[in-house]
Amino acid sequence: MTAPRILWCVLILMGSSLVALAQEPLTSEVGSAVRLEICEQGLNDQDAWPEIRPTATESFEIPAFGIDRIPPKYVDDGLRGPRPSPSLVRMTATVALPAGNHRLLIRARSASRLSIDGVRIAETAFAPKNGGDGSQADTERLVPLDLGQGYRFAPRGEYEMIGQYEAPGVPIEVTFELFAGGREGKGARRVEVGESVVAVAKAGSDHWELLTPSTPGIPYTNSRWEEYSLRVETLVNQYSAAQRAALRRQSDNYWTSRREAAAAWLSATPEVPVPLFSDAVRQNPIDQFVEHTFSLVKLQNDRRSPEKVDFFRDVKPLLESRCLDCHRGAKAKGGLRLDSQQAVETGGESGSAIIPGDTSQGELLRRIQSHDAEVVMPPKGARLSETEVALLSRWIEEGAVWPELPLVRDSLADPVDDAGFVRRVMLDTVGVPPTSEEFRAFLSDHSESKRAALIDRLLSDPRWADHWMPFWQDLLAENPNILNPTLNNTGPFRWWLYESLLDDVPLDRMVTQLILQRGGDREGGPAGFGVASQNDVPFATKGAILSSTFLGIDLKCARCHDSPTGSSRQEQLFQLGAMLAKKPLEVPKTSSVDPSRLTAGGRVPLIEVTLLPGSKVEPHWPFLACVSPEVTRQLAQNPDDSRELLAALMTAPHNERFAQVIANRIWQRFMGRGLVEPLDDWEKGTPTHPELLRWLGREFVRGGYRVKSLARLILNSAAYQRSVDQHLKRPDPLYTACEPRRLSAEQVVDGLFVSTGKAFRTEPMCLDLNGRRDTSNSIDLGTPRRAWMLASLSNERDRPSLTLPRLQAVTDVLSAFGWRGARQDPTSSRDVDPNALQPAILANGVMSQWLTRLSDDHPLTELTLSDQPVESLVDELFLRLLSRLPTSEERARYVEWLAEDYAARRVLNPPRVPPPHVAPKLITWTNHLQPESDPAAVARNAAVQQGDPPTPRLDPIWRARCEDVIWALINSPEVLYRP
Amino acid sequence: MTQRIARRDCLKLALTGVAASWAPSVLANPAAPFPLGKAEHCIFFWLGGGMAQIDTFDPKPLGDAHSKPPQPGSYYRSIDTAVPGVQVTEHLAQTARVMDRVTVVRTVNHRVVDEHAFATNLVHTGRMISGSTIYPSLGSIVAQQRGPLNPDVPAYMLIGIPNVSRGPGFLGARHGFVYLTDTKTGPAGFSRSTDVDTARAASRQSLLEPLQNRFPSESIPADYRAAQTEALRLSGPDFMRHFDLSTEPSTTRQRYGGEFGQRCLLARRLVQAGVRFIEVSHNLGFVNGTGWDTHNGGQLQQHVLIQELDSALSGLIEDLQQHKLLEKTLIVVGTEFGRPAAFDSGGGRGHQGTAFSLVLAGGGLNHRGAYGATDDDCKLPVESPVSIPDFHATIHAALGINPAHELLDGARPVPITDGGTPIARLFA
Repeated sequence: MTAPRILWCVLILMGSSLVALAQEPLTSEVGSAVRLEICEQGLNDQDAWPEIRPTATESFEIPAFGIDRIPPKYVDDGLRGPRPSPSLVRMTATVALPAGNHRLLIRARSASRLSIDGVRIAETAFAPKNGGDGSQADTERLVPLDLGQGYRFAPRGEYEMIGQYEAPGVPIEVTFELFAGGREGKGARRVEVGESVVAVAKAGSDHWELLTPSTPGIPYTNSRWEEYSLRVETLVNQYSAAQRAALRRQSDNYWTSRREAAAAWLSATPEVPVPLFSDAVRQNPIDQFVEHTFSLVKLQNDRRSPEKVDFFRDVKPLLESRCLDCHRGAKAKGGLRLDSQQAVETGGESGSAIIPGDTSQGELLRRIQSHDAEVVMPPKGARLSETEVALLSRWIEEGAVWPELPLVRDSLADPVDDAGFVRRVMLDTVGVPPTSEEFRAFLSDHSESKRAALIDRLLSDPRWADHWMPFWQDLLAENPNILNPTLNNTGPFRWWLYESLLDDVPLDRMVTQLILQRGGDREGGPAGFGVASQNDVPFATKGAILSSTFLGIDLKCARCHDSPTGSSRQEQLFQLGAMLAKKPLEVPKTSSVDPSRLTAGGRVPLIEVTLLPGSKVEPHWPFLACVSPEVTRQLAQNPDDSRELLAALMTAPHNERFAQVIANRIWQRFMGRGLVEPLDDWEKGTPTHPELLRWLGREFVRGGYRVKSLARLILNSAAYQRSVDQHLKRPDPLYTACEPRRLSAEQVVDGLFVSTGKAFRTEPMCLDLNGRRDTSNSIDLGTPRRAWMLASLSNERDRPSLTLPRLQAVTDVLSAFGWRGARQDPTSSRDVDPNALQPAILANGVMSQWLTRLSDDHPLTELTLSDQPVESLVDELFLRLLSRLPTSEERARYVEWLAEDYAARRVLNPPRVPPPHVAPKLITWTNHLQPESDPAAVARNAAVQQGDPPTPRLDPIWRARCEDVIWALINSPEVLYRP
Repeated sequence: MTQRIARRDCLKLALTGVAASWAPSVLANPAAPFPLGKAEHCIFFWLGGGMAQIDTFDPKPLGDAHSKPPQPGSYYRSIDTAVPGVQVTEHLAQTARVMDRVTVVRTVNHRVVDEHAFATNLVHTGRMISGSTIYPSLGSIVAQQRGPLNPDVPAYMLIGIPNVSRGPGFLGARHGFVYLTDTKTGPAGFSRSTDVDTARAASRQSLLEPLQNRFPSESIPADYRAAQTEALRLSGPDFMRHFDLSTEPSTTRQRYGGEFGQRCLLARRLVQAGVRFIEVSHNLGFVNGTGWDTHNGGQLQQHVLIQELDSALSGLIEDLQQHKLLEKTLIVVGTEFGRPAAFDSGGGRGHQGTAFSLVLAGGGLNHRGAYGATDDDCKLPVESPVSIPDFHATIHAALGINPAHELLDGARPVPITDGGTPIARLFA
C-alpha cells in the first residue's frame, strides 16, 4: 500500500476503456462453486472486448476465483488440438461477502475485468505485442506488486490491479472474465491463463483470500495456493478424461468391428500349441515354453566338455565383433552368412566356410590367415591375432560345435523373495520402489495369491503411464524443444502418449492415431510426431521410426542408399514416407550419396544407390512379406487415404509381425532380453523361442492389443519371478535366473524422490513464462512431477538468463544414467555401462544435496524428529531407501554412528525464521537480454547450488551425521539395480 | 543476401587455393593423407551469438550507426598489428601485438543464419544436421581420437552451459564432456558441496563401504563400484586441485582479466593436467546485454566484450608461451556466424554467414596474421574461401588427426569431416 501501487493502478487504468458490462441475469443462490466457462467464438483478432457476450463452448466448476490452467482442447479421437487464440475465460458465482469496504485484487496474464452485480470493479489491460527478440523491458511487470508479509507474488509476470468494493452484505453476483492467448505477429500465443485470480482482503484485514462462494475461505498464500492448485489440477484432469472418453465413443463402432475382425482372424488361423512340459499342469503357458526350451538346450549342451573350446564364450563374440557386420542377413557379402551352423557349413560363393573337424580346408581359415590384401578377412581394421586364429582353428578341429543357445546355468534359480519381488514389480510397472507402508503391507500379507493381487493393483495404477513414457519417447524419438524448434525437433506429442497410456488405449488404435497424425502439433497431439524441424525429408525419418518400432525393420541406411547388409531398399523407405505424406515424395540430393564418393580411392563401393536424387516415389506399401494390402483394405475406414491404409496395414491382425514385434518389446522390457535381438532389426537375429514368440503375438491380439494383458501374463510367470544371479553379466536367453539389471535414468531419479519423500520441485519447463511468444517458437511443458516430463534444456545460446538451474540439476543426473534430452533419433536400447560421472553426480550433485540435506520440508526431517529408538530409525531409513531391513552388522554400524547425541538431537525452541519475503525477479524470454537479467540469473543459479537451508530443529552436528547416513544409503549400488 | 556461394563451389575454390603446394595426385584422392601437425591440445573459445568480424578481426573503413541512413562499416578504428599489412580493431590492441602467433581465417562461410542453434550445431559438428545421423562435436571427435593426455583426467571439458551441439552424437556418451559453468563451482558432479569437507567426505565413504561390499567381485554392480572409486578419486585433491586458481600468482590472474579470462587461465591449467580438448564459452551477456548477438543496443557496449576477449586471448597466448605450451596447444576462436557491415534500425547488426572470421593461434601452425580476404563490405570472400569442413579439417590436422579418417556410426563409416581440406599454407 505504498506509492508504487497507486502508480500501478493508474498505469493500467490509462490503458483501458471503461465500458459498462451488460448485466447477465444470474439466478444461482450462494453456491459452493465457481462456474468456469471457455468461450472460443465471437472474439476477434484485435485486442478488444467483444461487444456481444460470447457463448461458452465448455464449462465446469472450480472451488474459487482462481485458476492456473484450463483444460486442453480435445478434438477428433480424443486428441489434444489447438484452441482458437484468443479464447475468453469467464468465471461466475454468487458470493456472500460481509458488509464493509473490502479490497479486491485481480491478477491475469492479459486483459481481464471484474464486475460485481454488473458494475466494473477492476480490470487489467491487454498485454503488449512484444514477444520480440528478448531485449524489451516490460517494466510494469518486472517487479510484482508487494502487499506485505505472506503476500503471494505474481509468479509469471501477471498483471495485477486492486479495487475497492463496498459490499452491501447480501449475496453478490461476481463475474471475472479474461483473455487467454491472443495474436502475436502472424501467429498466435498459447491459450493459457497464467495465474488468474480474484482475491479479497476484507475490511480491516491485510490477509488475502481467494474469492470463493464456499466456506471456509482459502488463504492466498504460497503454500495454500499449491494445495488449491492441485485441487484445480485434479478437477481439470477429471474433466479432460471425460472429454476424451466422450470423443472416443464416437468411433466405438469402428473399433468394435476391428475387434471382431481380430477375433475372426484368430479363429481362422491355427493356435500355437503350448508344450506340456513336466508335471506342472497349473503352470503359466510362458513357463511351459521357457522350461521346454531349457530342457532341450540342456540336453544339447551335455555334449560339451570343459577342455574344448566353448562356442558361446570364445567363438561367438569373435564372429560378432569381426565378421557378422557383413556376413549376415539377406545381403551377406560373398553370399556367406556366419550366423548359423547350417549357413557356415553351406558356405558362400567361394565354397564352404568351415568343414567341421578339418582345418586344411574351408574359406574361413584361409581368409583370416591370408596376406593378400584382396583376399584377407576382415577387409578393414586389424588382422585377427594369432591367438584368435588358433582359437578358431582349434574349434573347427574339435568339430565346430555350435549349440542353439548357451547353457549359462544348469538349473532354474529359486523364486525371488517377497521383499525383492515387491521392489522389482513396482519398479517394472510403476517405475518407483514401494514406500515403507507398501512394503510392510505386502510382507505381512499371508494370502497365497498376494503376488497376483499386487500385479493386478499395479496394472491399474495411473503411475503405469508414467513408467511407460520413456519407452515410447525413446522409440518414437519424441524431441520437443521449449525454445525455437531446430535440430530434428518434434512437437510435444508426449501428452498424447501419456493420455493414451493413462486411458489404456489399445495399441492398434494408438498406432492408428500416431500414423494419422491428427490433433495439434504444438499442443501435444500425435500431429507433433510428423514434425522434424530442419530435416530435409521428415516423412522419411518418420517412416523409418514406424518400421523399426512396429515391424522390426531397420530402414536407417535406406535414407540415402540401399542397405549394404540387409534387404531394405531406399525405395521402400520413400514409399512408406510417401504414404505418410499422402503424395509422391522426392528424394533430395541431401538424402543420397554422390556416386563419385562411392568409388573414391578406386575401391569397390560398399553401398548401392538405386534411387537417383530427384526421383519421385509414389505412396506404396513396401512390406508385402508382412501383409498384403488386399487383405486389409476392408479394415481401413477410408482406404483411399494412404495414411489410413498404412495404419490398417500396420495394425491388422493379419500382420503378425506387428503383434510379435510389440510382444517382443514388452517381453524384453520385463525379461531383460528380447526373444529376437536386435529388437528393431529382426533380419539380423533369430528367435530363441520362436513358438513362444508366435504365442505371445496371438495373445496380444486376443487381449485386444492391450500391453497390460501381456504384462499380466509375463509378470505372473515363474520365469519373471526368478531371483537374481549376481554373477550374470547379461540376461540369460534361457531365463534361468535374472541378471542384475541397471535401472533406467528415470527410475533412478523418480525412485530417489519417492523413497526420500523430498518434493520433486523444479522450475516450469518453459522459457516464455508470460506467454508472449508465438506458439510456433515457445511451448510450455509444465512443471514436471516425474522424470519423463523433462526435456532438453539446450538452446545453444549460452545465456545464463536462458538457463533453468533446478531442471539442469535433474537433467545432469538423468543424462549421466543414459537419458537423452534431445532425442534426435529413435533408440531401442540405452547405454547402461557404468562411468565415473554416474556415481559422481549421485555423490556430489545438486540434486543429491536436496535429497540428503535435512531441510524443514524434508519428510526425513520429521522422521528423525519422531520419538523412537535409534534402532527403529535405522530400520525405517533402510526400508524407505532400499526396501529392506539392515543386516545385523549394518544395523550395528549405523546405530553406533547415530546413537551419539541421539537423545539431544532435537533443538528445543528453535529460532523461528519466517520465509524470506522478497519478490523474485522474473526472468523470461521478453526480458532475457536486459542487462539486469543475466546477473539475476547467475545469482539464482548460485542459490540453487546452495540448496535448501538445513532445519533449525535438529542439532547441527547430529543432523550432519544423519545426513551422512542418508547419503551413504542413496549412494549404495543396490539403489541402481533391480532386485 | 543477393549472392551466395554454393557449398560445393566453396570446396572447389578452396581446393584451387591450395593446389600450388600439393601434388595433383593428392587432390584427386580425398582419402590421401594430409600434412599433419603436432599439437597435443585444443582450447576452443566459443563466442555465442555471432562475433561481428567487421568490429573485431576483419576491420573495414569506419561506418556510422547513427547517421541517417546509417553508413555501413566498422564501428571502431583499426590498428596495425605485429604482422605487417594485417589490421584488427583498436579494442584488440593486446592481441595485435601477438598477431604473429595468430591467423584470422577471414573467409569462413556457410548459409545458416536464421537460427543460432542451427548454426551453432553446424560450427560445432562441421556438418548440416541429418535425418539419420547425429554428428559428434569437434570436442568429442578429438576426445575419441586422441583420448586424454593423462589417463587420470577427462579428455574433453567444457567451461560453459551444456548443450546438444557440444555433445558426442553417435560416438556415445563416453565421449561427451565434463562441464563446469563457472570457475568458482568446479565441475558438476565432482565438486563437493561446500558443507562437505575432507573429514566429512571420509566419514561418508566409511559409511558407504559396507553397502558397496554386498556384491561379488565379478558382477555388474561390482563394475559400478569401480566407477565409484574413480569418481571418488576425481572429486579428491588429485583432480580438483587443477580448478583452484588461487594458487596462481596474482599478476597472472590479473593479466587474464575478468571471469572469461579466468576461464582461459583454468583452460591452461587443464592443458597442463592433460585434458585434450577444452571448450571455453564466453557466455557473459550481461556485459552488454546481448553478448555477441549484437542486435540493436547490444552494439553500444560491444567494445567491453571485445576488450575481454583481447585480454583473455592475448593473455593465454603469452602465458602458454611462457610455459612452453603454445606450440603444443591450438587455440581456436569459434562463433556461429558473423555480422554484416550494415547496421540495423536500432544501431546494431544482424546475422551474416556468407563470410565471417574464425581465429586460430598457436598449435605449431605456420601463422600469418590473417588468411583469406573479404570484399569491402566484409560480405563475400574475394580470395581463399574456407568452408566449415575445411576449417574443421585444419583443426584436426593440426592435432595430428586425419580429417578423412572414417568413424563408425554402428556399421556406417562417417569421415571425420565432410570432405574438408586443411588450409595447407598453415602447415608449410
